[in-house]
Amino acid sequence: MFRRAKKTAITKIVDDTTVAHALAKAVSEGDFVNFRLLFQPFSPARPDSSELFDDEKYAYLLPDPDTESDGEFKKAVAAVRDAPVWAHVQRELSERRPAQLPSELVLLLADNAVRLGKYTIAAQAYELLRIRRRMQDEFFALADKALDEGKTARGVHGYIVATGLDYNYAAFPEPLPLVPDWQTRALIVHGEYPVSPENCLPLQPTEVFLRNALAYLLLGASSAARLESRPLEVRLAVLAELVKQRDPEWREFVGRYREACKLMHDYETRIQHAVAARGDSRISLAREIEEVLGADPREIPATLLGRTIEDGEWWQYLKELAFEHPAAALFVSRQIIGDAEIIVPRYRGDSPVTPAVGLLPATAFQPAGSSIDV
Amino acid sequence: MSRDDESGYVDYFKVLELDETAKPGEIRKSYRTKMKELVSEIAAVEITEERRNKFLLEMATLNAALFLLRESDLRDAYWNDRKDLIVLEHQWRAAAEAGENTNELRKTFDGRVRDFLSRYVEDAMLAGGRDKECVEASHWDAAHERHASGILRQCRHEFFQQILERLPYADVTKPSIDWTERARFASGVLAEGAV
Repeated sequence: MFRRAKKTAITKIVDDTTVAHALAKAVSEGDFVNFRLLFQPFSPARPDSSELFDDEKYAYLLPDPDTESDGEFKKAVAAVRDAPVWAHVQRELSERRPAQLPSELVLLLADNAVRLGKYTIAAQAYELLRIRRRMQDEFFALADKALDEGKTARGVHGYIVATGLDYNYAAFPEPLPLVPDWQTRALIVHGEYPVSPENCLPLQPTEVFLRNALAYLLLGASSAARLESRPLEVRLAVLAELVKQRDPEWREFVGRYREACKLMHDYETRIQHAVAARGDSRISLAREIEEVLGADPREIPATLLGRTIEDGEWWQYLKELAFEHPAAALFVSRQIIGDAEIIVPRYRGDSPVTPAVGLLPATAFQPAGSSIDV
Repeated sequence: MSRDDESGYVDYFKVLELDETAKPGEIRKSYRTKMKELVSEIAAVEITEERRNKFLLEMATLNAALFLLRESDLRDAYWNDRKDLIVLEHQWRAAAEAGENTNELRKTFDGRVRDFLSRYVEDAMLAGGRDKECVEASHWDAAHERHASGILRQCRHEFFQQILERLPYADVTKPSIDWTERARFASGVLAEGAV
């Protein structure tokens, strides 16, 4: 007869320096996932776990020589090795129950995450410490003070950090950090087909456009509302800086946008000539583009995006564009051309917005304005 | 126990500006007055997304108040559950301060508070929106319910956050925060410039 072998408890010697370094690496890199992993039941840091730090699959948990010489890493090691913290860590790694994380390390991790722009992680860590809202308020207050002093770049940075620390309490099933999901937000901005060109966002009066643009880029109307009372030129400067800080590659998009505008302008000129020559007022931009581009008007969205999406729909181009250049979604609109629907560049020629964000110089031509009847 | 100790445990008597001895007639009267005022306010302003969310929540809260407090069995169940939960919270906090093992208390409280908020915030507000008397006064319909589902979930989570502020720390050790240092840190981050 077979008897089940007795289970013997696994114990191994865990090197303190290795554990400390693994924790310090996670803390210095603002990596909450790895930090929590080190306290999990299967963690190689636990004496009763069969997992080993020597295993190649855990190599990513340990610092390389470059990391070891980094100032933030050394600071994190000192924090981990601080006597009461280290005693708590060792106790938690020995207990057979969910670990209680050391708040000193969680706070340092969150701060490093903020410095590294990992706002989602920082939000989660601050939320665990129950200080997230107050940290948000601190950054908002500093940002508003910077704007009061005319320091737009600092103020916008403050707003980006503060909104990055926001939480979505309506998320299902549990509250989650509010992530800047530009693809989804861009689709919401363009959720309805504009009944007439004038209905689209880029052609709205400056104040309406600004309110919506700031709400989009600041992840919600309540953050944008803080700027409502500021003078127009300040809000324009904030928008311009926000576009730049959200998208360091904005200049790249600007070049392609101007190309797409030129395409649209060429079509407009052809229509005007055709109307003048033939007196046919039924010629529309849609028909003109259809004639020139044939069955595939996607040259325009492809020009905007800088590449073609095979059989790409308007919303695919919009999502890709918004992911790469978040603010781009504010300067395009949907357009039906023949059987196809695409996105086209649109902006208001008399608005100070496009020169402010560097999209077009103030003296540029004015294609795709409200005068075009499609 | 101070009133602050009860924040997060939605008090529908307070919503109707009544005390817990109010009779059904008083409850109905207060509900109708407040709903009428709310409906007039909605009609008088331009509806923005923020206002829409605020009005939906206010309407749903009034409907839940009437639905739960109008009849004695629902009212007693709600009020007793609320009192029991507040007592349980205090037991847990006292045990934690005394250095006792609070794991079991924590698990019990966690389950019950989530159940309370789910039943008496979200479910009650939705049930109120389907109640004939509430629908007549508020004109709540399927479109309101669709728009409100996310808002009610947010409301429930925000009530939980209010309660959480008072609870002993479990997942993490209690932090010691120096807010002068925090302000210095934040200032330093902005001085360094954008990432």
